[in-house]
Amino acid sequence: MPVTTFDRDYLNRVLGIKVDDKTLELQVSKMGFEVEKFEKESIQLNITPNRPDLLDAVGFARSLKNFMHKGNKFNYNIEDMKPVLRINVGSKIRAVRPYVAGLVALGAELDNEAVANLMNFSEKFCDTYGRRRNKIAIGMHNLNAITPPLYYDLYPNDSFTPLNQQKEYPFEKVLKELDQGVEYGHIIDNGSQGYPALMDMKGTIALIPIINSERTKIDKETKDIFVDVTGTSEYTVGRTAEMFAATFMDLGCDVKRVEIAYFKRKPILTPMMEKKFIKMPLQKAGSQLGVALGFNNVISLANKMGYEAALLGSNIRFTLPTYRIDIMNEQDVIEDLGIAYGYDYIQPTEVYSVEQGRQADTTLAADKISQMMIGLNFSEAMNSYLTNEKINFTGMRLKPTIRVQIKNPKTTSITMMRTWLLPSLMNNLAASVHDKMPQNLFELDNVFYMHGSKPIEVAHIGLVSADSRANFNEMKAVFEEMDALLGLGYKLAPYDHKSFIDGRCAQMLDGKKVVGFFGEIHPEVLSNFGIEEPVVALEMTL
Amino acid sequence: MHKYETAVLEALRKGSGGLDIDALSEATKVGRDGIMWALENLKTNGFVEFKVETNKRMELTDEGRGYAENGLPEENLMRAVDKAGSVPVQSLKGEGNQIGLSWAKRKGFIEIKDGKVMLTADGKSALQKGIPESGVLSGLATGSEKSQGMNENLMRELLARKLITVSMRKGIVDISITDAGIKASSSARAGADQLESLDKQIIKTGKWKGRAFKPYDVSVPIGRKAAAKRHPLRQIMSQMRLAYTSMGFREISGPAIESSFWVFDSLFMPQGHPAREMQDTFYLSNPETLQLDAAPYLSSVKKAQETWWHQNWSLAEAKKAVLRTHTTSVSARYVYTAISDIVQHTSAYSLPIKRFSLGRVFRNENLDYRHLADLNMTDGIIIGKDLTLSNLFGVITKLYGSFGIKVKFKPSYFPFVEPGCEFYAYSENTKEWIEMGGAGLLREEITGIPRKDIRVLAWGAGLERILLIKDRSLKSVTELYGSGIGWLRDRKLS
Repeated sequence: MPVTTFDRDYLNRVLGIKVDDKTLELQVSKMGFEVEKFEKESIQLNITPNRPDLLDAVGFARSLKNFMHKGNKFNYNIEDMKPVLRINVGSKIRAVRPYVAGLVALGAELDNEAVANLMNFSEKFCDTYGRRRNKIAIGMHNLNAITPPLYYDLYPNDSFTPLNQQKEYPFEKVLKELDQGVEYGHIIDNGSQGYPALMDMKGTIALIPIINSERTKIDKETKDIFVDVTGTSEYTVGRTAEMFAATFMDLGCDVKRVEIAYFKRKPILTPMMEKKFIKMPLQKAGSQLGVALGFNNVISLANKMGYEAALLGSNIRFTLPTYRIDIMNEQDVIEDLGIAYGYDYIQPTEVYSVEQGRQADTTLAADKISQMMIGLNFSEAMNSYLTNEKINFTGMRLKPTIRVQIKNPKTTSITMMRTWLLPSLMNNLAASVHDKMPQNLFELDNVFYMHGSKPIEVAHIGLVSADSRANFNEMKAVFEEMDALLGLGYKLAPYDHKSFIDGRCAQMLDGKKVVGFFGEIHPEVLSNFGIEEPVVALEMTL
Repeated sequence: MHKYETAVLEALRKGSGGLDIDALSEATKVGRDGIMWALENLKTNGFVEFKVETNKRMELTDEGRGYAENGLPEENLMRAVDKAGSVPVQSLKGEGNQIGLSWAKRKGFIEIKDGKVMLTADGKSALQKGIPESGVLSGLATGSEKSQGMNENLMRELLARKLITVSMRKGIVDISITDAGIKASSSARAGADQLESLDKQIIKTGKWKGRAFKPYDVSVPIGRKAAAKRHPLRQIMSQMRLAYTSMGFREISGPAIESSFWVFDSLFMPQGHPAREMQDTFYLSNPETLQLDAAPYLSSVKKAQETWWHQNWSLAEAKKAVLRTHTTSVSARYVYTAISDIVQHTSAYSLPIKRFSLGRVFRNENLDYRHLADLNMTDGIIIGKDLTLSNLFGVITKLYGSFGIKVKFKPSYFPFVEPGCEFYAYSENTKEWIEMGGAGLLREEITGIPRKDIRVLAWGAGLERILLIKDRSLKSVTELYGSGIGWLRDRKLS
């Protein structure tokens, strides 16, 4: 879950109302998020990934105030349809990062905290919702340092002074030498097809999605800001521009549109800030939440979540908050109404049954067998399904065979799925060397192997018995009892299995099929696992 | 009661009192050490009383013993002088005479005049009364001499002459039997006839009749017998299954090795979603992909994904084999199949349909004392008419209620449910709310139900945490897997 950090002073300032920590924690939790940490100068929040608008202190303050019925701003319209800037999009960019949106915010009065918040917001946004800039990247520029118009296309190598650098870098050197280049260069295939860049009449203002130019850097002196959003989906870059537009509007800026002229397409405007509506019958939300909601309730709950709502015949029409990019259809609106109502106030009610409950046949069978094992004085062990070749094979004196293998383990102890149970049980005995003998353990659980290219998951039972007097006949007696009680009728024959002492291992045969084996564990296996007493063991497919 | 104790009690009861250790040893034919041990035990049980005194104990040295038998050298000398009236000094040769001469002189019993030895008046009277040292020595030799009340000077002299040794010794004195001891003694006497153990012969012959069995000391510590038992987590799983079935749920299951389609795509999780990344999910190199058994649903999943997530949906990505990260994949398989069947054969179904699954799930974690790569999880679904969020809360509340656990709900987000929530359980142990799982109404994009009145409630939760709440001796979930038998033996039944 994305974690974002707000400066306390800045948050208080944009909130404009006093909210103590206890209230904040409670309200945040009711909204469906968590305060991770209260620090002296900052507050850390866990925000679910559907609400990137809350990664911004301004956006968070807006939603919190609404939720506490202290806010009343629902409308984020831009009256002026006339764009103040134009981005011409070339034809070559289509292959790499086709879409761009922009906005202009005039009259910004930013101090250091405000700039820091904007930077933090766009960084967190690109990291999470933007999938580490793969889907979306955002750049902010000093509008007055730009000589329009802007061009967005794929360019051959060029040079510019990247943000916070003193000298010019060719694009290829940015990718090789600067941290951002190394981290994000792969997104543009390290320039193998050319470099996506945003240029004005004087040259590069951003190598997309890597780094902006020093020339257009914003700071607290910046009055007018240009924001570019680039990405892989036209819809998403447009919605992102709208989300940022709302933030700048809350900051008191005069937000203007940018014209995007895609190659051979009629130019479009961003951010559109078009009003979107969802209509549903008045009763619908209440009937899905299981609470009775009247018209006035619904309006008030909708406002609390930033919606405007109006009655249209027997339907309610909700105007969606422009800055929300997670609302798909009425289900999402209903959830918001539920959150506004408060999950704590929704009374639990029963769902009556028509069918009789029933456990799976395999569960009932496993329970029966486990019960029998308890009767035979074996305790139940539980082990990880994940293992490695050393434990599963070589420790047991076997050569690795075909198996289910993990592609991306984080540790060398996990490289495959276990193919049998006895290695796990040997580990249990190794962890028991200081405990009283005899030690009898069983495990009834799944093992995995490959049948051609198909993975097979099957239940086995494994038994181990460690004792100074442990011997073949003891396990044979256990097998005979299992065979009799389960009515298996398996035949026994000598078995050559490297994990067992030669001549002291038997295989169980169901007709001609080997279904299991038991015997005295080879002393080399015992010392591989650090076990100091003789062990007899059995493994059987169920 | 040990036989030494019985014997000592018996001797004390019969004896007229004043028996000491040696006498008891004599009477019971038990060595001194045995007697001492028995007395200590008997005293602890209140059957005897005695005092412990520390005494000086004198013993003769070899020289002292010789003098006790043959007389002190000065005494022998004085006797010879007395007989002869006077004896010339020169005639008194030999070690004995020299020692005698020196001591007799030092004590003023003789005098030497003109080379002749003669008894003094003191000497004469001492010879008549007997020399005190001599008395002590012969007393010690016969055992009648006691150190109490002995002249300190005399003792010091004998010590100086190395005729005796003195040692400090603890002695048990004034041994007497108590009333309880008398009682115990008589019952012990009766016990001589008690049976030690019962055997087939005694039962058959009826030899037990009229005889008592030797009673045991029930307080003697004995090692525990280790019970074979089910694994604590398995007990929780059984309890969970009972809770579900008692609420009308039927158990379903699915594979642990799954396609990304059933783990992620079918649940509306966009490709590229952080939860799908290698960071969190085990992908497989063998098999790298799985044959998709989802043909009827591919086009609707693709459409929903592309419509709502604004990105191309890749079938190749959906085929990638993973270890399931949640048992919700089992629910997903069931919902997709059941819903299309319900739509076709409405009359064959009586709603609501309640299903649950329990099984292993996997997370690509850095393993440490708090993190495991596989855990057990449960998922549940209800497919029914007009189901509500309130119903969802009701089912989960009841399910956890069967463990005596209180739950509460908090809004949260999962791509496949809307409304969605997390639920928390209250731990009486740590006095805090612990996150148990997630739940919600499945999105219509997943259920794809043409009948809008049919909704699906779904939830998923880890099982280990229930055990952490119930068993306060558990420190971490990592204890649950791969532990030794000692750990298992120590677990209380939960």
